[in-house]
Amino acid sequence: MKFNTASQVISFARKLEEDGIDFYESMAKRYTEDSDILLGFARENKKNITRVERAYYGVISDAIEGCFTFDLDPEEFAIKPEDLQHPAGSNSINTAIEMESQTARFYDKAAEQSKSLLADVPRAFSTMVKLRDDRRKKLASLRDTGNLAEQPEPR
Amino acid sequence: MSVLNEPIKEVLELKNYIGGRWVKSESGQTVDVKNPATQKTIGKVPMSSRDEVNAAVTAAKEAFPEWRRTPPLVRARYLFRLRELLEEHFEELSRVQTMEHGKTIDESRGETRRGIEMVEVAAGIPSLMMGYNLEDIASGIDEYVIYQPLGVFGHIAPFNFPFMVPLWFSPFALATGNTFVVKPSPRDPISQVKLAELIEEADIPAGVYNVVHGGADAAVAMLENPDIKGVTFVGTTAIGRDVIYKKCGETGKRAIVQGAAKNFMVIMPDANVAATIPALLTSFFGCTGQRCLSGANLVIIGEDAFYRKFLDTFADAVSKIRVGYGLDDSIQMGPMQSVDGKERVLGYIEKGIAEKARLILDGRTPKINGDYPDTCFIGPSIFENVTPDLTIGREEIFGPVSSVMRAKDLDEAIKMINSSRYGNGNAIFTSSGKAAREFQYRVESGNVGINIGITAPMAFFPFGGMKDSFFGVLHGQGKDAVRFFTESKVVIQRWF
Repeated sequence: MKFNTASQVISFARKLEEDGIDFYESMAKRYTEDSDILLGFARENKKNITRVERAYYGVISDAIEGCFTFDLDPEEFAIKPEDLQHPAGSNSINTAIEMESQTARFYDKAAEQSKSLLADVPRAFSTMVKLRDDRRKKLASLRDTGNLAEQPEPR
Repeated sequence: MSVLNEPIKEVLELKNYIGGRWVKSESGQTVDVKNPATQKTIGKVPMSSRDEVNAAVTAAKEAFPEWRRTPPLVRARYLFRLRELLEEHFEELSRVQTMEHGKTIDESRGETRRGIEMVEVAAGIPSLMMGYNLEDIASGIDEYVIYQPLGVFGHIAPFNFPFMVPLWFSPFALATGNTFVVKPSPRDPISQVKLAELIEEADIPAGVYNVVHGGADAAVAMLENPDIKGVTFVGTTAIGRDVIYKKCGETGKRAIVQGAAKNFMVIMPDANVAATIPALLTSFFGCTGQRCLSGANLVIIGEDAFYRKFLDTFADAVSKIRVGYGLDDSIQMGPMQSVDGKERVLGYIEKGIAEKARLILDGRTPKINGDYPDTCFIGPSIFENVTPDLTIGREEIFGPVSSVMRAKDLDEAIKMINSSRYGNGNAIFTSSGKAAREFQYRVESGNVGINIGITAPMAFFPFGGMKDSFFGVLHGQGKDAVRFFTESKVVIQRWF
């Protein structure tokens, strides 16, 4: 089912951020040498929830098109749950990059479609896009420099 | 589909809030408050007696002398505290509105936000309430104006915005040093009870704010009470003009009376269609058409090809509106607030058909998303070939019905609008500044939209209205409200 209402989109944004928190916290346990960076991403996701929700709750008004603004298909931005729950092996960094790309695409589209809302909402979404771009670069750099050394499974 | 948690878990036995105490009505008469989507009873509201209304007014009168002596800055601090509590309870307040009114959760959150904005603006009272002066109006004589509160004000609330509309007035009344008695709509009074609970928690002194439940008898008791200095009302024109305004005149009360509307949305051939459609959807079908600023008549200007293409695009978008319970956040349009409201809309649809308008989208048997009784549900409807003389082009339907008209040019469209007995919120959609200015200049409308579908003024502007949509002089909100709730006292002084 497509998302049409602002409330749906904000709820979905929260879910994406929460999935990211779980993912990075789980990944940090596995890649302990880089856990600071990964846990930093998780903390940032928590702030992102506040930023996006603050923008929405701060400007939502009975006079704007809250119920008729969006036409987004959440399936386009879904990450496989198994990838999120078990970030193991060499694929995990690529999963992280893919997750951030999907999230950025979601926010980009949401920003584009929410231009008829008050400016704070598309601005908050656009900020999320920039943040994801930066994050992808950091992750790619970690991957390319051979960081994120996998720790042995705890016995 | 996921339905948000309902904050009301049991049937609430509502009480009056008088003199800082929650008092059970002794009238013995109650009315059920029903969730219009589920039809479950969520509250029982008392029909208070005249004595109970008078008791609330007396409490407000007794609280007035001390409250008016409370410095404006301190009164503002009470409002800051209330504002924080409203933010804390934002989501609960919004969900309560959806449960008792039926509107979608996005719409309820929008209503809560608008209500909070009133409190925020009123908290600027130390600046808003300042008078003015002039030295040496004659040799050695100075003159100045001070604004003083008057006493007790009453508000008779409508059902369509159970949380926000009373807040168009009460924060300004309190900030200026008056005391207040609100009579919520008996159809959806719970939001005002929740608000009063927060007012109590904010430690606003006893008697400054009072809630007394009831119906028409309670409203009349308020109007006839000599200790009430002014009344604000939002509702139908018939009651507003013939009862409220008249009675206020007879008893020497100030009045802000906001009545019905028949709002026109004018589409110019140069309108940005993609951006206009969502604005029209929220205008005609937001809050299920139960707004005094809802679009009612859609006037399309232009050649046949533009007309047909625009109308087809609009109708296609309208046909996809998801109808259901507003706590499901995928829903775009909730039920009507009451069975009476639904019957009224159905009656107008029948009239439209009988008067030979063409029903191109029939909302009488809507597809409801979710397993809910159809008692109050109705889908969006569109009539084509409507003219201003037809009943559905002339009278306020107050439901999700769009009456489509044609005009050959802007001049004809403005004449159509100005021939309506109402003048509340009319809008033009265009890319032409010239057309927009012409519209703004000539249209007889208290609120004007330019590429805006709901012409709701922000809290720091007055909520306008003309002709049969408004009775009074000063309006609610902003500086107008500050003036309404204060008396100008002019002092001329000379020292020997």
